[in-house]
Amino acid sequence: MNNSIIKLSTLLLMSALITACGDDGDRGPQGPAGEQGEAGVDGQDGQDGQDGINGNSAVYTVQITNLTHGQPLAPAAVILHESGFQSFVDNEPASMGIEVMAEGGDPSMVIEEAMASTDFLDAVNSGAVLPPKSVGDIQTLVVPELDADDLKLTVTTMLVNTNDGFTGLNAADVSNMTVGETKTFMTVTWDAGTEKNTETLSTIPGPAAANAGGGGASAGYDPVRDDLADVVRLHSGVVTSANSDDASKEGLAMSVLSEAHRFDNPTSRIVITRTR
Amino acid sequence: MKLTKLASATLLSLATISVTQAVTLDIEVTNLTQAQSFTPRLVVAHDNTVDTFEVGESASSALAWLAEGGVIDDEQSAESSGENFEALLGPADTDNGSNTWHKVDGLLAPKSSNSFQFDALDKPYLSLVSMLIPTNDAFVGMDSIAIPTEPGTYTYYLNAYDAGTELNDELNSARTDIVEAETGNALGGYGVPGVAGGGAPTRVVDLGMGGTGVAAQVVNGEVEDGEDGPVHIHRNALGDTDLEGGASDLDSTVHRWLNPVAKVVVTVPAS
Repeated sequence: MNNSIIKLSTLLLMSALITACGDDGDRGPQGPAGEQGEAGVDGQDGQDGQDGINGNSAVYTVQITNLTHGQPLAPAAVILHESGFQSFVDNEPASMGIEVMAEGGDPSMVIEEAMASTDFLDAVNSGAVLPPKSVGDIQTLVVPELDADDLKLTVTTMLVNTNDGFTGLNAADVSNMTVGETKTFMTVTWDAGTEKNTETLSTIPGPAAANAGGGGASAGYDPVRDDLADVVRLHSGVVTSANSDDASKEGLAMSVLSEAHRFDNPTSRIVITRTR
Repeated sequence: MKLTKLASATLLSLATISVTQAVTLDIEVTNLTQAQSFTPRLVVAHDNTVDTFEVGESASSALAWLAEGGVIDDEQSAESSGENFEALLGPADTDNGSNTWHKVDGLLAPKSSNSFQFDALDKPYLSLVSMLIPTNDAFVGMDSIAIPTEPGTYTYYLNAYDAGTELNDELNSARTDIVEAETGNALGGYGVPGVAGGGAPTRVVDLGMGGTGVAAQVVNGEVEDGEDGPVHIHRNALGDTDLEGGASDLDSTVHRWLNPVAKVVVTVPAS
């Protein structure tokens, strides 16, 4: 029992001590933040990353020479791609891009059509008319080195003093070229098959028609397809108005072209060189 | 290490020996046209410092002599001395360092072939040029093909080029009713207007006499001797079907061609 009393008194004492502490009151507001310290020393450079897998590039230059006597070549589409893609196929109807290029000279839609293909690698629009009998600027194209073993070159450029004639290359094989290697192609001439070869000043965009008061954009692309057959094939040459008023009547009287605009194949030389 | 070096040195010397073994090429040239004859053929083996012609670049005087008159050397024309291919390349049938060349004499008639032997003296490239007659300045050309080293038979098809040193007036040089403008010179080969070689014994038909001119017109009995270079693919003869008139003294049903105009077969013998 005594023990209980002591215990009780101890409890009381403790409770009295606790009661004596009381509340501390609310804290004051936090003081303002100190000034920012000086910037630390720059860290060390990280280590170089690992080389990517087959991440290197193969570089090619392409140069076109106009071999004709009187046919300026419109800006050229120069395209590198893998096998499987073709901008056009002999004896099949031309795409709209080929039609626009072959009738009016603008190659940009040919490039757009190629870019839409999964086989596309790189393309350049030469951006300039290449005069007859002259050597063009060097165009540079870059493809992943991985793709150098299956590589095709397509080039299209209009003979501007024709209705829808063009020259170039149709997926020519340039696979497995070594650095420094050069390949030379002498090219044939196609008829896009999208416009009748009337050779008139209102259907030919080039200077031959322009000098006669026609030509230009209005004589270029026309969506109507009125050729003998709506298929791409090799060009049969221009008739011209030469010999149209003599006894032979060999010429085409309504043609705005002269004998100087005639051409024979090849109409261009295309040289591709792998430079890296 | 020493052994490796010795081995590679031996290999190199062996390679050098095999390269310097002179190989005589057998070359056959076929004229694929129906009515154009080839003048004497110039065959050149050369290094990369020699170029008989280059598309897109102006013709040399040597090429002008060949393309307008079929002339290669002094023997054919003393007047051409100093300006012809002999002057450009050096003496025939010998090693001129950068080249060695040979002239195949005689005309090569349409639709015919001719074979000859040619020691290329281990020069890396082969070129061949010859004038097409009757034309103003057309020539058939092989432009620096790499001479094959493996024994075998190799076929090449050649195109007709326009030297660009004379306008294609297509006027018969035998005519006496026309002269060169300003100089009064008679029509003919190098340096004057007119189609050369119209009277060649290999001709298929005689030329007309009354043409008024194709790329250059006859005015008051005169015609100018202009240029239409640089070198390019020939746009073909025009011709017409009127011997006494029309634009051309050539016959459109006879004298035209389309490329290729020649076939060249090179045989590299087994050594």
